[in-house]
Amino acid sequence: MTSAAELDQMIQSGELIESTSEMTPEYLRELKHTLIVSGDTELISAPAYYLAAKRAPSINAFMTGIAIIQDELAHAHIAYHILEELGEDQEKLIFSRDPKSFRYPYAFDVPLESWTELVVANGFYDQAGFCLLGDIHDKCSYGPWKRGLNKVMLEENFHLRNGRTWMKRISAAGGSAKEELQKAVDWMFPLSVEWFGLPDSMKMHSTQLEYRLKGLTNDQLRQWWLSTVVPYCEQIGVKVPAHKETKDSKDVWELDYPFPCEFDAENKRWDFKQPITWDDVLTRWRARGPRNSEMVAMFQEEFHNFRKTHKKDS
Amino acid sequence: MTQRFWEALAEVEDPEMPVNLVDLGVIYGIKETEGTVEVDLTFTAMGCPASDFILDDVRERLLREPGVSDVRINVVWDPPWTTARITQAGRDALESWGLAV
Repeated sequence: MTSAAELDQMIQSGELIESTSEMTPEYLRELKHTLIVSGDTELISAPAYYLAAKRAPSINAFMTGIAIIQDELAHAHIAYHILEELGEDQEKLIFSRDPKSFRYPYAFDVPLESWTELVVANGFYDQAGFCLLGDIHDKCSYGPWKRGLNKVMLEENFHLRNGRTWMKRISAAGGSAKEELQKAVDWMFPLSVEWFGLPDSMKMHSTQLEYRLKGLTNDQLRQWWLSTVVPYCEQIGVKVPAHKETKDSKDVWELDYPFPCEFDAENKRWDFKQPITWDDVLTRWRARGPRNSEMVAMFQEEFHNFRKTHKKDS
Repeated sequence: MTQRFWEALAEVEDPEMPVNLVDLGVIYGIKETEGTVEVDLTFTAMGCPASDFILDDVRERLLREPGVSDVRINVVWDPPWTTARITQAGRDALESWGLAV
């Protein structure tokens, strides 16, 4: 293992780290943590999207939905594969962890129940993934991950396109279709804003930034997301609770509601009159949401059933 | 003269891979009669998840050509597409992205 000073020197100079022999134990721990969040997020999006994709309005739309799910599983595989190379047991990570210990954004725990909600997820959640992974792809100090993300970025673009094309189409249809779209945006927009985590003012220290596992802060990533999503929604005639302001001759995206605030997951409803603290948010996240155990069971159950009924020696 | 339509479709990128539709070899033929452009086009797979996007993009791009008022697309499967239809430029583009063909 290299010393902390040597590692720091490599990170500062922009050199890429290629093997565990170049890491400190702290760097390795932080890298693994970041990879687990990424792998878990991609993995859980598969059951989350599947439960909505099966409600696709045409065979073509269903094929697109299924292709996106296939992409997400492949992206998950990249993260878990790297974790295995770093000494983790991939099988245990995926199939033997308690559902509550998966480290994906809370948003996926709230059921996507229609094609409309799926395409808004493609437009919002995949945009969030695009910002987070795009930043890692751009800045990450760990070479194997940075390179692995080349193809991932292109595929995420395809997901975004599915989201945006369909959101535009549904909005243009008007009537009850557009109402359903607006309703989906109303609960999914604030969940996506929350996705990027604590505001910078409350997060004094970021080990991920220090080790250049990522390059942008939570607020910078959130602003990036808002700068793509808000203008697009306005363009297609969908209302979102945020607007642009100019501060020190810079564009800043401001939210029109207290952040954070109370969310009723069962009814998919935000109470903008009910501000809460970040401790309340963290408590909600840790408890996980309505669909957590059902989704994890979707890939864990059969793994274990299959092994029970297919004993090697029988 | 359909040359300008071929050039126009060479500006349309495949939604999943960094290669344009002409270099990918999925455009089989283009005809034009009195402002109506007819395109014979195939997909790389029958279950192509991007088929709707490709049809939209082809239509949208051709309608931007002066004098074009209508676009008709025939999706054809004969002859079937194979990687042999990718041009050298297409091969180079895909290879630089990490896909050997």
